[in-house]
Amino acid sequence: MRMKALLACAGLLLSQVANAAEPLPQRWVSAGGSLSEWVVALGGESKLVGVDSTSQYPRSLQQLPGIGYQRQLAAEGILTLKPDILVGSNEMGPPPVLEQLKAAGVRVKVLPAKADVPTLQHNLTELGELLGKQAEAKALIAGYEQRLQDQAARVKQAQQQQPAPRVMMLLSHSGGNLQVAGKDTLAAWMIQQAGGQSLGEHNGYKPVSNESLLALNPQVIIFAASRLHGDAARAALLEQNPVIAQTPAGRDGRVVVIDPTLLVGGLGPRLPDALAELTTAFYPTGKALTAGAGQ
Amino acid sequence: MTTIVQPRPMLLTLALLLLVVIWLSLALGPVSLPLSETLLAGLRMLGLAVDGDTTQQAELILGQIRLPRTLLGIAVGAVLALSGVAMQGLFRNPLADPGLVGVSGGAALGAAIAIVGTSMLGGLPPAIEPYVLSVCAFVGGLLVTAVVYRFGRSNGQTNVATMLLAGVALTAMSGAGVGLFTYLADDATLRSLTFWNLGSLNGASYQRLWPLLIVVVGVALWLPRRASALNAMLLGESEARHLGFDVERIKLELVLCTALGVGAAVAAAGLIGFIGLVVPHLMRLLVGPDHRVLLPASLLAGAGLLLLADLIARLLLAPAELPIGIVTALIGAPFFLFLLVRGRS
Repeated sequence: MRMKALLACAGLLLSQVANAAEPLPQRWVSAGGSLSEWVVALGGESKLVGVDSTSQYPRSLQQLPGIGYQRQLAAEGILTLKPDILVGSNEMGPPPVLEQLKAAGVRVKVLPAKADVPTLQHNLTELGELLGKQAEAKALIAGYEQRLQDQAARVKQAQQQQPAPRVMMLLSHSGGNLQVAGKDTLAAWMIQQAGGQSLGEHNGYKPVSNESLLALNPQVIIFAASRLHGDAARAALLEQNPVIAQTPAGRDGRVVVIDPTLLVGGLGPRLPDALAELTTAFYPTGKALTAGAGQ
Repeated sequence: MTTIVQPRPMLLTLALLLLVVIWLSLALGPVSLPLSETLLAGLRMLGLAVDGDTTQQAELILGQIRLPRTLLGIAVGAVLALSGVAMQGLFRNPLADPGLVGVSGGAALGAAIAIVGTSMLGGLPPAIEPYVLSVCAFVGGLLVTAVVYRFGRSNGQTNVATMLLAGVALTAMSGAGVGLFTYLADDATLRSLTFWNLGSLNGASYQRLWPLLIVVVGVALWLPRRASALNAMLLGESEARHLGFDVERIKLELVLCTALGVGAAVAAAGLIGFIGLVVPHLMRLLVGPDHRVLLPASLLAGAGLLLLADLIARLLLAPAELPIGIVTALIGAPFFLFLLVRGRS
């Protein structure tokens, strides 16, 4: 009898422990630019207590304690923030540090960083559950898909009137050599989604000589500048690389400046706006469905 | 410079200093633990039944984070400094550092192949992935050193000057190889490569510690047995030969110890500069050129200095941390200049 009562008590206790075992994490550390952006978009900014060095956007995240680069995390440093959970992409590491954090009772959530829509759906669903914002996550996913569909429709319509322009995306790191975005990059995906024809034939981002730049003959140049914006960036690009003025894009003044943080860490919340802006630049007469995101 | 030092008190002081630094390395970190908790956790880890339920966190931080890291620091610092002494003795040149026989360059090439290759293959089976980088770096260091040594051999003799030049050439070639992989790498991989080249004791774990500890203990036991031979080599190779030392064998042993020791250190913690160059210098100033004292002194000082540098690396930017190579170079280079200026006056 007593034994039974004891067992029942124990069972009750256990079930309560099990219920309490997975409360929603309240203190978040996020490693990975677009994941942090999504956490903010889901209304979780107040729960963030630390971010990595790739989490540059929204700007308010830069006020938070920095945990360094996502591949070089330090266990003890992160523990000082007393986090309940660490979310990051599968680039996060080194692995022994993740093990140490798990041993210290921090939930470590690794999400894939692939830049495609199914991955985004998966990640948003997971983040929504962890934040207790399942409905918001669903709405965000639906909205995102809708915008990509609108985007595709708009591109299709525009391409019936005009051929796809030849587009080149250039990256510059504070005045260093220009790098051209090639295949298998988020940049190429963006150009294609916005209705352009991406010119880089190499893989990844590679420096390219002025002569081959001319030979690629771009009609539109997208410039991802790390510090300058708008006209200032455009002027700096032409000044540092006079050869760009000789390309069709340079002659016609078709240089679009975008924020390079768009290109890091998978599909982020700002991407649809950027795509709409690019399409407007690719098809100047096509009417815009959405107002372009200012840069 | 010519002060005669009593070696024993000097070594004892160095050992005590090292103990203090070890204590600091265990007691300090971004998470501030009360002294009492650190002590309690330490006692519990030693198997003493001390009660205290608040010490779980302290035990974890001490046992799983700080202790493996401290052991790694001691092993890497000690073996880099010992190899520095061996190389400066072998080349009879105070500017020699362990990288001179190509081991660092080769390890860097091996690491570049591992990091970029893994990312190009899109990942490896999780069972082997953590070890690929270390194994490639170690093997790369050994292979390049073996080639350098082979270039220095002719007619059954090792020409040290040829070996030095071959080391420079092969280091440059390895650099070109690293450059090629840098070119092939994508942005994220590139950053891993850059960080690896600056070294770090972060993420130390016992599984990866044991292979290094075995090599380091081996080198630390072997090199002091060759102290008299190294002393004789200071006079010149033929003089050492006349004194009855098997000079060719000694040279091979010194190169082998350096390749194994530095290779294992680099495989575990990445490239960490200046310890191998500066510590032997510093110790020569303190205890004189006698290798019987210089070797153990360098071992103690190398371990201590690296731990101190690591302490700065992990405390300065907490919760993030600085690659340790930056700290050692920042301390090491000005100190080296100071030595140069002092030597001139």
